[in-house]
Amino acid sequence: MNTAISDDNAARTDGNIRPPGRVTDTGQMKDEDTKAAFSRHVENCTDSLYSLALRLTRNNADAEDLVADSVTKAWSAFESLEDRNRFRPWLFRILHNCFISSYRKKSVRPVEHAYNDLVDDDSHDDLTSLLIKQPDEFLLWWSNPEREFVNSLLGEDIMSAIEMLPEAFRITVLLVNVEGLSYDEAAEVLDVPPGTVRSRMKRGRTLLQKSLWEHAREAGLVSDDIKRCTS
Amino acid sequence: MNDNNNDHAVVDIDCMEAINGLYAYLDGEMDDPVQISKIENHLCHCRSCYSRTEFEKTLSERLRKSAGNQTPERLHDRLRNLIDRF
Repeated sequence: MNTAISDDNAARTDGNIRPPGRVTDTGQMKDEDTKAAFSRHVENCTDSLYSLALRLTRNNADAEDLVADSVTKAWSAFESLEDRNRFRPWLFRILHNCFISSYRKKSVRPVEHAYNDLVDDDSHDDLTSLLIKQPDEFLLWWSNPEREFVNSLLGEDIMSAIEMLPEAFRITVLLVNVEGLSYDEAAEVLDVPPGTVRSRMKRGRTLLQKSLWEHAREAGLVSDDIKRCTS
Repeated sequence: MNDNNNDHAVVDIDCMEAINGLYAYLDGEMDDPVQISKIENHLCHCRSCYSRTEFEKTLSERLRKSAGNQTPERLHDRLRNLIDRF
């Protein structure tokens, strides 16, 4: 049952800001309360919003504009959000929709993995997780003494690998793994079934591991012993 | 609901079943306590799957830390000004 986030709840106006809240005996006070609540919610998710926007647009200025546009749209629809505990995924959805409608075309796109990213089922096994496909050599690599060195580079390496993920996988991994959304919440944000989120997570992680593994080999992070073992 | 789960030996599962359920387990998407027990029991005695689990945890943690960006103060100011004008 989808009660929290729907397109009906998403703002559709561009610039025409309709203040939520009703005129009552307390009039302006009611609006100020609503505005204060809205402001607190926004403040609590600004970092997450900006991080997600930056990963989508790959551009600081566009990311800031995207966040501001999303907040504007969210304000115009705030009154329709019945469960304010779900403000965060609700705002993520607005940001995602805003990105698709206004920013996606001009976002700088690096070379992404050549991959049939529109296929969301589990029928393909060509990208089975490294953890299943290459367990022995992977574990040898992972448990070898160079692990600490790998760890020291992993942040940069991981983000490069994330940047190369096809958009559908990138945003799913970011929403679930980084922002901590449940599969159901991510599904609502992306307007896809929860099963699609599950399969995208699996495939996104697999691509990520594959990319890191290849990087480790190319960068010489894998010892000769392990290379011999895997060749 | 079965409150007597702890009274019975947990049925062991093989590595493939454990790995197949690993992501749901790590992502907190596994609701069935029996299934959770099976995974945890397997991880207790399978060095290979335990190592794989540790790797996934570490990778996820590094991803969380790496993906975070410092929001520019000008964006905080911009949003505050924006909301003030609402």
